[in-house]
Amino acid sequence: MRSAFSRTLRAMPTLLRVGVAETVAYRAEFLVWMLTSTMPLIMLALWTSVAAEAPFQDFTSADFVAYYLAVLIVRNLTGNWVAWQIAEEVRMGILSMRLLRPIHPFIAYAVLHISAVPFRSMIALPLCVILLLSSGASALTTEPLQIALLLPSILLAWLITFGIMFALGGTAFWITQNFGIVNFYFGLWSLLSGYLLPLALLPQALRTIAKWLPFHAMLGAPVELMMRHLSSAQVAELIGRQVAWAVASILIGLAVWRAGVRRFEAVGG
Amino acid sequence: MIRAQELTKYFKVHRRQPGFANAMKSLVHRKYDTVKAVDGVSFTIERGERVGFLGPNGAGKTTTLKVLSGLLHPTSGSVEVAGHVPFKREPQLLGKITLVMGQKSQLIWDLPPAETYAMNRAVFDVDQADFDKRLGELTELLELGDLVDKPARQLSLGERMKCELAAALLHGPTTLFLDEPTIGLDVAMQVAIRDFVRSYNQRHEATVLLTSHYMDDVVALCPRIIVIDQGKLIHDGDLRALIKTMDPDKRVSFTLVESISDDELAKLGTLLSKEAQRITLKVADREIGTVVGHLLGTLKAADLAIEDPPLEDVLRQMFGRAKAPPP
Amino acid sequence: MTRYLSVLSLQMRTSVSQAMAYRANFLIEIVISMAWVGIALLPLLVLYDQRTMVAGWDRPSALVVMAYFMGVKAVLEGVVTPSLVGLVEKIRSGSFDYVLLKPMDAQFMVSAHSFSVEKVFDLLAAIGLAIYAFYERGQAPSAPDIALGIALFAGGVLAMYSLWIVCAAASFWVVRLDNLIYLLGAIFDTARWPIHIFQGVWRFVFTFMIPVAVMTTFPAMALLGRLDPRTAVATLAGSVAMLVISRIVWRSAIRNYTSASS
Repeated sequence: MRSAFSRTLRAMPTLLRVGVAETVAYRAEFLVWMLTSTMPLIMLALWTSVAAEAPFQDFTSADFVAYYLAVLIVRNLTGNWVAWQIAEEVRMGILSMRLLRPIHPFIAYAVLHISAVPFRSMIALPLCVILLLSSGASALTTEPLQIALLLPSILLAWLITFGIMFALGGTAFWITQNFGIVNFYFGLWSLLSGYLLPLALLPQALRTIAKWLPFHAMLGAPVELMMRHLSSAQVAELIGRQVAWAVASILIGLAVWRAGVRRFEAVGG
Repeated sequence: MIRAQELTKYFKVHRRQPGFANAMKSLVHRKYDTVKAVDGVSFTIERGERVGFLGPNGAGKTTTLKVLSGLLHPTSGSVEVAGHVPFKREPQLLGKITLVMGQKSQLIWDLPPAETYAMNRAVFDVDQADFDKRLGELTELLELGDLVDKPARQLSLGERMKCELAAALLHGPTTLFLDEPTIGLDVAMQVAIRDFVRSYNQRHEATVLLTSHYMDDVVALCPRIIVIDQGKLIHDGDLRALIKTMDPDKRVSFTLVESISDDELAKLGTLLSKEAQRITLKVADREIGTVVGHLLGTLKAADLAIEDPPLEDVLRQMFGRAKAPPP
Repeated sequence: MTRYLSVLSLQMRTSVSQAMAYRANFLIEIVISMAWVGIALLPLLVLYDQRTMVAGWDRPSALVVMAYFMGVKAVLEGVVTPSLVGLVEKIRSGSFDYVLLKPMDAQFMVSAHSFSVEKVFDLLAAIGLAIYAFYERGQAPSAPDIALGIALFAGGVLAMYSLWIVCAAASFWVVRLDNLIYLLGAIFDTARWPIHIFQGVWRFVFTFMIPVAVMTTFPAMALLGRLDPRTAVATLAGSVAMLVISRIVWRSAIRNYTSASS
């Protein structure tokens, strides 16, 4: 057990480096990936136009700008494509290779996707941060507690996103053509996480569902930490839910994977 | 008929050095090198010939085939296949040729080969009667059986290759370009495919150009060999003539009852191997008579065999010299 | 010509029989599509919950734009996307060479390679939404409006198709098309909304740089009887121009491919 762990640790630098190289290998495609998060921008264009004449449900244009920039920033830092990657590897029949390696795929994929973050964010992130601080600064929170918890919150959001995506990817063991499921999930996520619309604008019922499912914890939570003034109790509840979902999503991811691999081995690669 | 005149094809290739700094540099500035894949190659092939292209990896064989089939424009020089210029990809020519690439599949992956066949029939506009007749012939020759009704992804490599060949031949081409068709296949399958190609060539007077890493493919199938190395044509002609030019010495193997000193052996010829009592010598052609006489008479050698050098040795010799390091 | 038609019908028949072979998948896809319709409508419903009129568009009219969006998307996702995704695979594996060896136009073979038959239901949903929108409006469209609406629908589909082909052509140079597909899809997402809702620089970008207005807003306006003839003609001409340009780009990509691949 310990040797597997230390082996993984020793392999980290190489894994990270190769992950970076892989991301950089296709110049144009990685540029496109950076630009792909355009949905918030479109929503931003829409809602700022709508709120230009009059605030929409307490959101002024500036509020919308800040909100969607915050969404972009968090999304940039936490998004990953591991669900598609796993499905693709199962389909192409190369997943078996991954299973033979001494490092657990959860970690291998995690490292790959973490290493991609700096590159994905390289241009977009500083830009968004600058824009946010310049034009949307008024909408940002000034509470020191919230600011201090921002990074942990984003890390937790990353973990939850990864765990769930990992589990989703694992469905490929049962349904090789799982694009439908993954896309459907993405639809739910974009609605319930706050990606498409601030949760405050959604009907109460949907807001509750979003909080009881991992969606809010994946995106809405860190964004709220950035934007709104929250009481300590609210902050605690928010972080608490994130921690619970982080643990749950890792467990779910690993469980799905284990069951999937067993089926994979039974059915044949 | 196929004619190539001073055929040349250069590629610009991006070379990326390993390492982090270079990876970042490659984002903004790419360095290109010119690779001379084919460098002034000329030959003429008549209808019905079976010609093998030999050469080390990266020699330019596949590139030559791609130019001949119209997939690549030559950088300079002229090419003509059955009276057409290949890279114009005129429909009449496309109906007469076929290219089979051992490592790439034209079968639709998720569907049975039969569906690919139906599609090709529609695309090439093949008469239903002709199609049925050809499919029957190919099914028999290749022993396809019910393979054509299983999704391509469920077939083994050998089964898939047989179905690929059938797909490639359903429009009745008279010129076959085969690029490594037997790669990855077991020996029995290789033999089956060789036999098939030979019979197709004989039945339909089809011209066959074959590239292969397996000497046996080329030796068994192609009376004429074109050797390409680093883009240049090194040899064009008969297989035996090639061997004779490169390595005119014979291989003489025998078993001796009494042992003999290495000096004594050296007088007879160059020692190639000495295992237990079995000795193999390289002997110049003109000395064969004397040496064999001595071996049989004086030394009482047993199980004497005289052979041409194996093709592998010849080619290794041809390509074995030190190559220029990659730029 | 007949050869092209027979290949097309063969492709369609194959796609249908494939869909029927995986019936469970087929049904799941339909259910998921309908769920997406719901998700897509939500922002619109939220918007019109508070406002009756946005940039001169009331709810029924906005629903018509949404219906056009769904319709164009259905046709694209049913016909174009599956084939172009197949193209990416072929280029990656090197099997694209076989396409060039066939005596048929490569663009045709690449565009009509396989179909997602379940998208027919999306198209039906789009038509259903349009009918509902006019019901809510309380006034049916006139026959000339319908004719123009259909013509511009075709124009919108062709315009989007042209963009796809340009992206497909780009994949010869860049190899990984997947993200380009997502990008195009993401940009196309703006077409859900009447272009007039976007103010300032956004409207300029979407109308001229990525001609989204062509695809949904103008056809919707035609159906609603709000489009002046000159704009209608200009829009159709625009679609044709895009088709021609995309063809030129494709051919140059093939020329480049046959020069550079090894």
